[in-house]
Amino acid sequence: MNELNIKYHNNFLKEVEENIEEGEWIKMCMQCGVCSGSCPLGPYWAHPPQELFMMIRAGKREQVLRSDSMWMCTSCYNCVVRCPRKLPITQIMHGIAAYANNLGMAPKIQPTRDFSILFWKNCTRTGRVNELRLTLGLYFNDGLVAGIKKGWAMRNIGLGLMRAGRLNLFELFKGHECKDQKGIHAMLKKAAEIEQRHKHLTA
Amino acid sequence: MSEMKTAAYICQGCGIGERLSAKQMAVVAQKEGKMQLVREHAFLCSAEGVQMIRDDIEKEAVTHIMIAACSRRAKTEAFNFPDVTMTRANIREGVIWSQPEGDAAQEIMQEMADDYVRMGCAEIKKMKLPQGTPDKAQNKRILVVGGGISGLTAALESAEAGYEVLIVEKQKALGGWAARLWKRVPAKSPYTDPIDTGIVDLIASVTQHPRIKVYLNATIAQTSGAPGRFLVHIATENGAAATEEVGAIVQASGFTNYDINKLPELGGGKSQNVVDQAGLEQLAIEAARQGQPVRRPSDGGEVSSVAFIQCAGQRDESGKHLPYCSGHCCNTSIKQAMYFKDSNPGIDTVVIYTDLRTPGMGEDFYRSGQNRGVTFTKGMVSEVAAHGNSCTVKFKDIILNEDSSIEADLVVLATGQVPNSGVNIDLAEDAQAEAKPVSILNLTYRQGKDLPQLKHGLTDSHFICFPYETRRTGIYAAGPVRRPMDIAQATEDATGAALKAIQAVENASLGRAAHPRSGDLSFPIVRLEGCTQCKRCTVECPFGAIDEDEKRYPVFNESRCRRCGTCMGACPVRVISFENYSPDSIGNQIKAVDMPDEFSEKPRILVLACENDAYPALDMAGMQRKVYSAFVRVIPVRCLGSVNTVWITDALNGGWDGVMMMGCKHGDDYQCHFIKGSELANYRMGKIDDTLKQLGLETERVTTCAVAITDSARVAQLINDYAAKIQEIGMSPMKGFA
Amino acid sequence: MTTPIATSQTILVVGGGISGMTAALEAAECGKQVILLEKSPTLGGRTALLYRYFPKLCHPVCGLEINLRRLKGNRNVRVMTMAEVSRITGTRGKYTVTINIAPRYVNGNCTACGECARAVSSEIPNPYNYGLDKMKVAYLPHDMAYPLRYVLDPSAIGTADAEQARAACKYDAIDLGMQPETIELTVGAVIWATGWQPYDAAKIQPYGYDRFPNVITSLEFERFTDLRGPTGGKILRPSDGKEAKNIAFIQCAGSRDENHLRHCSRICCMASLKQTQYVREVYGEEGKSTIYYIDIRAIDRFEDFYQKVQNDSTVKFIKSKVARVAQDGNSGDLILHGVDTEGYHRYANNHDLVVLAIGMEPSVKGVDIPAEIIADASGFLESETSGGIFGAGCAASPLDVNRSVQHATAAALRAIQVINKTAGVEI
Repeated sequence: MNELNIKYHNNFLKEVEENIEEGEWIKMCMQCGVCSGSCPLGPYWAHPPQELFMMIRAGKREQVLRSDSMWMCTSCYNCVVRCPRKLPITQIMHGIAAYANNLGMAPKIQPTRDFSILFWKNCTRTGRVNELRLTLGLYFNDGLVAGIKKGWAMRNIGLGLMRAGRLNLFELFKGHECKDQKGIHAMLKKAAEIEQRHKHLTA
Repeated sequence: MSEMKTAAYICQGCGIGERLSAKQMAVVAQKEGKMQLVREHAFLCSAEGVQMIRDDIEKEAVTHIMIAACSRRAKTEAFNFPDVTMTRANIREGVIWSQPEGDAAQEIMQEMADDYVRMGCAEIKKMKLPQGTPDKAQNKRILVVGGGISGLTAALESAEAGYEVLIVEKQKALGGWAARLWKRVPAKSPYTDPIDTGIVDLIASVTQHPRIKVYLNATIAQTSGAPGRFLVHIATENGAAATEEVGAIVQASGFTNYDINKLPELGGGKSQNVVDQAGLEQLAIEAARQGQPVRRPSDGGEVSSVAFIQCAGQRDESGKHLPYCSGHCCNTSIKQAMYFKDSNPGIDTVVIYTDLRTPGMGEDFYRSGQNRGVTFTKGMVSEVAAHGNSCTVKFKDIILNEDSSIEADLVVLATGQVPNSGVNIDLAEDAQAEAKPVSILNLTYRQGKDLPQLKHGLTDSHFICFPYETRRTGIYAAGPVRRPMDIAQATEDATGAALKAIQAVENASLGRAAHPRSGDLSFPIVRLEGCTQCKRCTVECPFGAIDEDEKRYPVFNESRCRRCGTCMGACPVRVISFENYSPDSIGNQIKAVDMPDEFSEKPRILVLACENDAYPALDMAGMQRKVYSAFVRVIPVRCLGSVNTVWITDALNGGWDGVMMMGCKHGDDYQCHFIKGSELANYRMGKIDDTLKQLGLETERVTTCAVAITDSARVAQLINDYAAKIQEIGMSPMKGFA
Repeated sequence: MTTPIATSQTILVVGGGISGMTAALEAAECGKQVILLEKSPTLGGRTALLYRYFPKLCHPVCGLEINLRRLKGNRNVRVMTMAEVSRITGTRGKYTVTINIAPRYVNGNCTACGECARAVSSEIPNPYNYGLDKMKVAYLPHDMAYPLRYVLDPSAIGTADAEQARAACKYDAIDLGMQPETIELTVGAVIWATGWQPYDAAKIQPYGYDRFPNVITSLEFERFTDLRGPTGGKILRPSDGKEAKNIAFIQCAGSRDENHLRHCSRICCMASLKQTQYVREVYGEEGKSTIYYIDIRAIDRFEDFYQKVQNDSTVKFIKSKVARVAQDGNSGDLILHGVDTEGYHRYANNHDLVVLAIGMEPSVKGVDIPAEIIADASGFLESETSGGIFGAGCAASPLDVNRSVQHATAAALRAIQVINKTAGVEI
């Protein structure tokens, strides 16, 4: 079947339900729009949550997964507390984003996504977040010149943090780490396995 | 009946004694009113005051009492003397509370009070204690027309209350549409799953009930008579006929599905794979019988996707299809989508709606549908095109704001309910024949064969507070013939209608009126020797209570009558009256007032006020101390429809300067509880202009106005404006001639 | 208070609103003995506080007048006001009901002349106008009150006002010694028609009912438009008395919401459609009404009214559940934020006044009802058909007036069945 023919057939909805944590809630949306209106970042999205949910039901797989909308969620939970159907909208947004990312369909130049990837890599390496490296990584993400410019702009804050003992330049070399790094990595691996198995089970 | 002995009681309480001369009122009652016994009391509604009246009734054999005190709407528990004839002069709300304090107004206020006493005395002498119609009809059996869920419920509930019941069903079996459903929408917690219809048990309870008799394959060939004594001819398909006597009728003639063939743009009649909701039920029953999932009708193929199109041929503003919403279809589509989801969650089901209407706990059913994976989308369907074994549904996706289309193996159109209401008696007769409806009741009533229809063919009540109000006493519509509805509502509706039918037979057996003058024992008495066979009463009766005999004389059916007095108002020769309400009882009041002469600058304005709305509004104007002209004299009437033009001409001939008639709003959203009373009054008064001109009077001397019960402030203003106008026109030249 | 005579042949109706009055009158007009119990000092219930009904725009008190006349003329019904059921024991056909009666401090001598109200000076919030204005401590609930008898508020007892009221009454109607009473009645069947109450609007935090004076409920709006209401029928803003011409109606305020009421309250769509016509009545083309809705539920021939309002140029419909209401500090105007879901349009709309189409909660909540009548997920009653206690009207389901009356009429028959069966009545 071509794209037209699968409209409003549940293929994509089922895919989402199977692959996204809390995805089974999407069908419960009644299109009141309170989430869309409640989002502080709403004006910057192409598709607010309620519309995304409708698009998922309508089978618009490409448009949804390639959208940068769900990446805009800042987890303020306004939508969640107001939703009359008690949908865990924040979790669903992150879920869709993660799924799009896993499929390699997430938009390439997307600051939230970039930061998320950076953060994940940073914290899973040693089990602790290395703030200095995370910051620098973020600053230099757009190239050397851009990184220097950003660093220069933030220099006073950086110095302040150093004086207060909140920033240690030596972190650049080693930084603090988890004691049982092997354990952490084993845990993360196990979690990934469980996630896979869960998807397999619900599929 | 014993001889008339009259008594007048003048109360001095609530400031009456301080602001007026009660003594003078007593003198008026005695001298002019010719009351045989006149008493004043400082606090008439007290136990002692009431006892005084009781003693007079017992010891002095008083039969007719006139109480001059507060409004007839107040202190009704105290002034409750059911064994005597009573009237009340409204001195409190109508005089002292609506007139300003101070010496300047004293004289005209006293005149007002004195006139009300004169009027009360004049009225009471023309009143009799209603004895109830001798035509007390005793049949208490209930006829239920229609053996669907509404009819069966009405029958069973009546029988369970102890009444004999007769069911007449057109089909060869009981059950109606409910028997053709696979399952029904739940009506109790937890509101999550389709449930058994229960129709098999209901039919069994009915057929096994000792008090219920069933005619199948039968229709009503003729209905004549009245509550308590309806005579019904039943025709059966095999040609056999039966005649049965019943006391009241519940018409539960149900609905027909809107014809799907009228919706070709939605694929109606174009493809076997496009069905209405009833068609889908049939498929579901068939499938269940074979122990299989529902198959595609065109080729028996597997169904993998179903589209439900809501409001198909409903909520239509173009005039082509049904203008209303049938109310049940959203829940029904959810239920039907569940049929598919429950048999195979993999089947795609989409409900395309514009407003999803699942009121009350139906919201839980909606949630349950969503939870099962039924997809809902707000959209407007423009076309359903069938090709081969599939259908394409084209629609405007309203949320995603784009033209869209889906493919479905099966399309279900949520078409509406068309009431089986028989002949539309309000159409001209040739138009009735053209519409070719089959009458349900075949009433022999002069005003037509079936229940009057309210709107869109529905035999609903016009009144929000009174859903069982009927224009044919003792005949109650129930279920979807009255208003589109689902099973849960039809069950409630039928139970309510059964109560009204029971009430009707109980009322008829005692000769009492039904709503809204419930319990009234008066009834229209006609002096046939004076009748000119003009037929106005038979035509104008809002309840079809009056037939005509072969000589075209009116035949009154008291147990159909609602005692509004429209016939009395219509009669040009004034031969119709009630024991306690008649051309004389009002006419004498009009003549009883003390008419000041032309040069007194004291005009007199007669107000005839509907007792349900305008009169309470005037009372409340008094309670709020709204001041209005002391030149008015108010007479409450049962309905403006009961106003006979003779009262108006009598008043004008008697020197009254103006006549105001206050009735309820008329027109489409009429508020008259006797249907057409205020409209008829308006129509009749439209014709009085000629009379006025003949008398050499200005047409402004008679006016009608619509007054609502909430118009307490406005009603005072209306009176004052009219009084100013009369002042402007000048005093009537007719004074002193009578 | 003398205890009325009741037997297993008597039907007890609890609640004197339109459902209770209907059930009582319909049963009584079939010849049955009925006791009608009302918690407040007057019959009439919530509909007596509405300005007009949908879809006819007629006045609720018109029907109340007819029902009161039916009542005054029918000796089968006995009315007890200020009375509440505290306990029911027994079974179908024979229940013992314990009733608490609060003192009215005014006896049957009262002529409703109003001298007591003129004599007292203290005021209390007027519950018949939802506290939007005040009334004297000696008061007549409203012009259509039945019994037409004044009430002395308990707060006046022991104050100079009480003495002044007593002194002003020429008819010995003020009885300051009245005590709460408890009585027991035996009845055969019970109809429970205690009606509904508006959901607590303050709990819907984003709409600011508790913070912004110009956010009101649909019931309060009825009082604003009623000639007998606190503004004498003018639509004025509570904050500054300015004419409110640009009005927002927010649907599903509490209803269809699992954070508040999970059911749809059924009447609110029609109520708001009706109220847009109040705005038109007062301001003509100058008035502006905007309805923010999820689905417009104008069922059956109410659809006609919806179509009429849709064609009204002063009324706009936006399919959206409003996300939040903010107040423009200086003007008192309100700004509604949300998204029109029909094609995704973000809005921040200014309005003079916001009317919350408030949801319906059964008044049985918090009352210890007999186990025989079960409550559903929202607290509405469901009767066991085998029992002798029946829910009627909005105590049983969120219903409009017409359907409540229909429901109450059906309940009357069910009660009659119990009476006739236990008595073995021969028809």
